[in-house]
Amino acid sequence: MQITKREFLVATAALALASGVRSASAATAISYWHHFASQSEVAGLMKIIELFGKSHPDITVTQESIPNSEYMAKVSSAVVAGGRPDTGMVIAERFADLTAMGALTDISERVNGWKEKANLPENRWTGMSQDGAIYAVPAYAFVDWMYYRKDYFEEAGLSGPPKTFEEFVTACQKLTDPAKGRYAFGMRGGAGAFKYVIDVMEAFGSPIVKDGQAAIDKSAAVEAITFYSSLFLKDKVVPPSAPNDSYRQIMEGFRTGQTAMVWHHTGSLIEISAALKPGVQFATAPMPAGPKAHIARVAYAGNGIMKDDNIDAAWDWISFWGEKDAAIALLEATGYFPASTAALDDERIKSNPIYQAASQTLDFGRLPNSFVGAAGWSENVVNPSFQSVLTGQLTSEQAVDRMIEGLETALR
Amino acid sequence: MKSVLHRGPVAKLGDLSETRYWVYLLLFPSLILLLLVVAYPTLYGFVISVREMRLTRPALNGWVGARHYIAMMSDRVFWISLKNTAIWVTAAIAIEVTLGFIAAVALNRNVPGTKLFGVLILLPYFLPNVVAGHMWALLLDPRLGVINDLLVRIGVLSTYKAWFADPATALAATILVEAWHGFPFFALLFLAGLKGIPEDLYKAAAVDGAGPVRQFRLITVPMLRTVITAAVILRVISLVNSPDLLLVLTGGGPGNATQVLSLYAFQTAYREFNFGYAGALSVVMFVILMVFASLYIRFTQVTKE
Repeated sequence: MQITKREFLVATAALALASGVRSASAATAISYWHHFASQSEVAGLMKIIELFGKSHPDITVTQESIPNSEYMAKVSSAVVAGGRPDTGMVIAERFADLTAMGALTDISERVNGWKEKANLPENRWTGMSQDGAIYAVPAYAFVDWMYYRKDYFEEAGLSGPPKTFEEFVTACQKLTDPAKGRYAFGMRGGAGAFKYVIDVMEAFGSPIVKDGQAAIDKSAAVEAITFYSSLFLKDKVVPPSAPNDSYRQIMEGFRTGQTAMVWHHTGSLIEISAALKPGVQFATAPMPAGPKAHIARVAYAGNGIMKDDNIDAAWDWISFWGEKDAAIALLEATGYFPASTAALDDERIKSNPIYQAASQTLDFGRLPNSFVGAAGWSENVVNPSFQSVLTGQLTSEQAVDRMIEGLETALR
Repeated sequence: MKSVLHRGPVAKLGDLSETRYWVYLLLFPSLILLLLVVAYPTLYGFVISVREMRLTRPALNGWVGARHYIAMMSDRVFWISLKNTAIWVTAAIAIEVTLGFIAAVALNRNVPGTKLFGVLILLPYFLPNVVAGHMWALLLDPRLGVINDLLVRIGVLSTYKAWFADPATALAATILVEAWHGFPFFALLFLAGLKGIPEDLYKAAAVDGAGPVRQFRLITVPMLRTVITAAVILRVISLVNSPDLLLVLTGGGPGNATQVLSLYAFQTAYREFNFGYAGALSVVMFVILMVFASLYIRFTQVTKE
């Protein structure tokens, strides 16, 4: 078959017109950046996208997973060079940096007119607001708690999980048996170690920042670092690999039976439950209390709008995350605690004993420290300083001096 | 006459190809690309190194002159990173050149199986740094690591060792991983160079009484000098600029035991969002590489051939 030049041009024009008509009637497409990466997280996200698609057939969501450690690098590059997504995931620790670099849109007006706001109490919004303006809708929470090997505790004659740091040390000594390759506590000394170092410092009575100024109490902080590092240096109740152990290593240690206790949050419940039997081999407990304060973090995470091009569709998407259906879908897939009180009242949470520790923690848990420069100081100063104490390169006092100096620089 | 005055564009292009300006026309597309993706970012890097550019504190942004460079002089992490970069690059290059040479000489012998071994030896280089990093993190894992298990079984170690948790072994362990990953690069280039050396030279040298060592010293090394120089420069640039393997294996720790300049610049830019200081660190790396490359080329006299 031969086509004349004229016929070809007419056909091309018709196709172009047809595609134009199609795109004109197509759904609004929005992009979404997040740092969900595990199988369970992605399954939860896909379920939420599916539910959202059913209730909002006129909006399509294109999701992009960015490794958690690279998330801020990618967002900051997009802020500098362009290419922001419509929406993005926001966790409390990063909120101050994100708003300071102008990555988030003020959504106060939309939130105040939103009927679901009643299900999200004031403390949910604290980590998502600045100077009275709201920048993200809370969706779920990471509630800190302790996983412990119930069978090891029974074997060691321990009646229950430790409630204080003092009891924690006693339990550590009873549970450690290097001959069996068993250590009591999976200490996180590698990436992310700062989280628990800061918690222990606050548990010994040292604040971090007050009214935007460095407020570390040196003597309390030194006492805290000495206590925490002694678990590795003196008591030797943590694996020798602790100075480089990050999330993967502490979880492997616990799942494979090398360690008897590990501090983390509700987000790892599904992963641990896949390897160990809940209630039989392992159980959960609130974090032990320090001598001056009982510290456990309740870090609300949510979603914000990063670009105004499709702001109505973007709002529909981020607010959907705060509703009960999305929260329960995420809980079922990942174990992430809902931010919505409507979802928290669900029987799947209330009747499950494994969640009791998290429910108790909600009563006393604190929001993570959030100030501009927090991420840089935590990862670039607190981590290496604490690692240097573990490896004998610094004393606790020298490490605290570096933390104070670094914090003052970060806040300047 | 009319046909000469109204020549078409193709004919004009043909005329231009006969002139000396043709070479500029051919270089033009590459030049534009280089200006856009190399020259502009490099110059922009120089510019931000003399400015305050903190994404989370935009009010501070502005011209600061040499402040970042002066601050660097009293920054202990910078000096640790500089020292570690020198050790990291020198040790990795030394091991990679040695292993690459051995592999290339072995593969250059036409014996059965060399093609298969050639592919196997190149495999590490095909792996992305991040994959290689995670693989070695597991191989050297203090709980499940195969290498620890082997070393305990043959009696070298009494218990599993946390290689990346001890400042005394962390840098050495990362260098070995990098060397494993990078030596096929040298093997490949050296093998190509060896194939280009005429066999007659070795035969003539043998007739004159030169043994394998003298043949290697007087024929192989001089004939490969250009290849060695180019390969070393390319690899040094790659090692100085790539923090990904260290990011996966140690994140610069424990303490700052494995901190290098590229990783420090990356962490300063993307964790502290301090692009000005990170830019200054990158400029220092750029200057170090330029000085190294010019001295090295001058020292090897490769351009005099």
